[in-house]
Amino acid sequence: MTHAPTTAAQELNHDSDAPVLAHERTTRFLEGTSKLRRHIVTPEGVPVPIEIANYGERLAAFVIDLTIWFLLTLAIYIPILTLVSRTGGTLIAISIALFIGFLVRNLYFIYFELAWRGATPGKRIVGLRVIDRNGGPLVASAVIARNLTREVEMFIPLGVLIQGHSDWEQLAIAAWVMFCLAIPAFTKDRMRGGDLIAGTIVISLPKVALLSDLVERTLRFTFTPAQLQAYGAFELQVLEELLRRPQSRDGMQVLDEVCDKICRKIGWTAPLPRQDVIAFLRDFYTAERAFLEREQLYGKARADKYAQQQPHA
Amino acid sequence: MTQAADLIDDTRIASRDAALAARTLVLKSREFRKGREDGWRELEGLVERVERRGVYALTIDELERLPILYRAALSSLSVARTIALDRNLLLYLENLALRAYLAVYGPRADPIAGLCSFFLHDLPAAVRAARWHILIVTIALLAGVAAGFVLTVQDESWFTAFTPGEIAGGRGPASTAASLRDKELFAPWPGAVQAFGIFANVLFSHNTAVGLLCFGLGLAAGVPTLMLVIYQGLGLGAFIALHHDRGLTVDCLGWLSIHGTSELGALILLSAGGLVIADKLLFPGSYSRVENLALHGRQAALMAVGGVLMLFVAGILEGGFRQLVQSTPLRFAIGLTIGALWLAYYSLCGRRTRP
Repeated sequence: MTHAPTTAAQELNHDSDAPVLAHERTTRFLEGTSKLRRHIVTPEGVPVPIEIANYGERLAAFVIDLTIWFLLTLAIYIPILTLVSRTGGTLIAISIALFIGFLVRNLYFIYFELAWRGATPGKRIVGLRVIDRNGGPLVASAVIARNLTREVEMFIPLGVLIQGHSDWEQLAIAAWVMFCLAIPAFTKDRMRGGDLIAGTIVISLPKVALLSDLVERTLRFTFTPAQLQAYGAFELQVLEELLRRPQSRDGMQVLDEVCDKICRKIGWTAPLPRQDVIAFLRDFYTAERAFLEREQLYGKARADKYAQQQPHA
Repeated sequence: MTQAADLIDDTRIASRDAALAARTLVLKSREFRKGREDGWRELEGLVERVERRGVYALTIDELERLPILYRAALSSLSVARTIALDRNLLLYLENLALRAYLAVYGPRADPIAGLCSFFLHDLPAAVRAARWHILIVTIALLAGVAAGFVLTVQDESWFTAFTPGEIAGGRGPASTAASLRDKELFAPWPGAVQAFGIFANVLFSHNTAVGLLCFGLGLAAGVPTLMLVIYQGLGLGAFIALHHDRGLTVDCLGWLSIHGTSELGALILLSAGGLVIADKLLFPGSYSRVENLALHGRQAALMAVGGVLMLFVAGILEGGFRQLVQSTPLRFAIGLTIGALWLAYYSLCGRRTRP
């Protein structure tokens, strides 16, 4: 049971860098360490991994939202502009545009994050969600707070900058905006000021499809327990990933090399024609998984090929 | 462990056809998946619809199924973590559990109810919780006003020192009583479009910039916040003194009060929000400073929201009513009523616990 997750509450606040489960280590190996992973604990007490959204994803979602916002504002503004242009000056026209922009922007973000469960249209397209950082429900006041803080962080100061005031004010406000933009780089879960204040985080939540099981029903090749002891869960899951990749010439070459390595490692001497490589690997995967899963149940989980050899009972 | 052991007896390896040496493997993880996959797929369909169209897209029966299927999926995930090494299966279950969790524990309130509870309960409660910060800022502001007034009454050159040229708007030691009265205090109403322009402009005005700076500078331990508040008070005191010297004290106060109760209230609220930030940073208690800020930051943000709200009202009053209402008593009446309403809203609203 060494793979069982540790106590939930500790997990959240003192997340260690060490992967908790075997497949998380494999994921880290395959996808690199650039992704920030955390766990939240559901009220039922089950830790579930989450992935913190990176800057690029958040920027993309924000740009999409801003585009929609801009078009909406324009749609409302143009009729008003034609009304005003007869009587008012440019400054008033600009002021009214900024004001309508302000209203539309806030209603847009707050409405969608509440109605679409933590996702604006931009976030949904990119696959992001806003969640409570402690795993609780996302409450309305948190959504409102994190969005109105964006005004204080960025939009109102930018508006003030555009209007132009005295030099020291301009400088102070520019410094404030820069500071707010830099906050996500210095906080633990890439939280911007609004997230910090509302206690939320933005996670990346792409859908994962359930693929068919790779396990074969009948095996053409058989392996001895001694042969199967050569590897552990990590190698098994890397092999799974390779077998699941769409077939291609490069992929085939990789599989050939992997097959050669496995044969050498387990001392497979029988001839193996090239067209049988995939069948062989799938059989080996099946036998290896059956073996390792059974060992794990008996409390002898093998993390990888370096795990200590245990005499087979 | 016993539960897991029940699920798994040995992985049977039975030879069926000795001649072909083919073997049939029965993997517990595969049998496990076979028995539960339908439930997962059903949950996935429900979650997909909730994500797309909200919980209202589900029928009553489906709504009842959702939490049952969700808990079943969580249990599947826990079992799979102990018995299965199929990485795709584990990733799928984790993803499904998280999405179902977000569907089941998503925001409860619909947007309208959320906004109502925000403005009727959360916002005034946050402001009430910061009453000491508000008191400190108010004292600082009043001290500034008093100092500015006393200094400028003695020597009017202080007015130019306290008030930047663009804010003074042509007023100064050289102004005569008549020019102040007719061109400023009782200037004619500029018309609806201009008035709306002034209102819409409020967000980008000097006072908004100062208010936001007061809030933001809370991060610098609050001292710059208080300095800025005092400086604003000095300007205001000097402004009153300028009118006092020309016998316009009452008219000036009336002119200020109509939007000033909202605008100064906004300044006080934003600055007090800055002080709350400073407070949480300086005295983190048993948390780290950033943790403490995250824990209590919502209060500061709510106060900033309240401040911006008041600035809006001030904008409406300044643009729409100040020059439309040309009588000083009426100006006092409007200004003080609005001020009393703010006070009542922040001190009384949402005191009763919500059902």
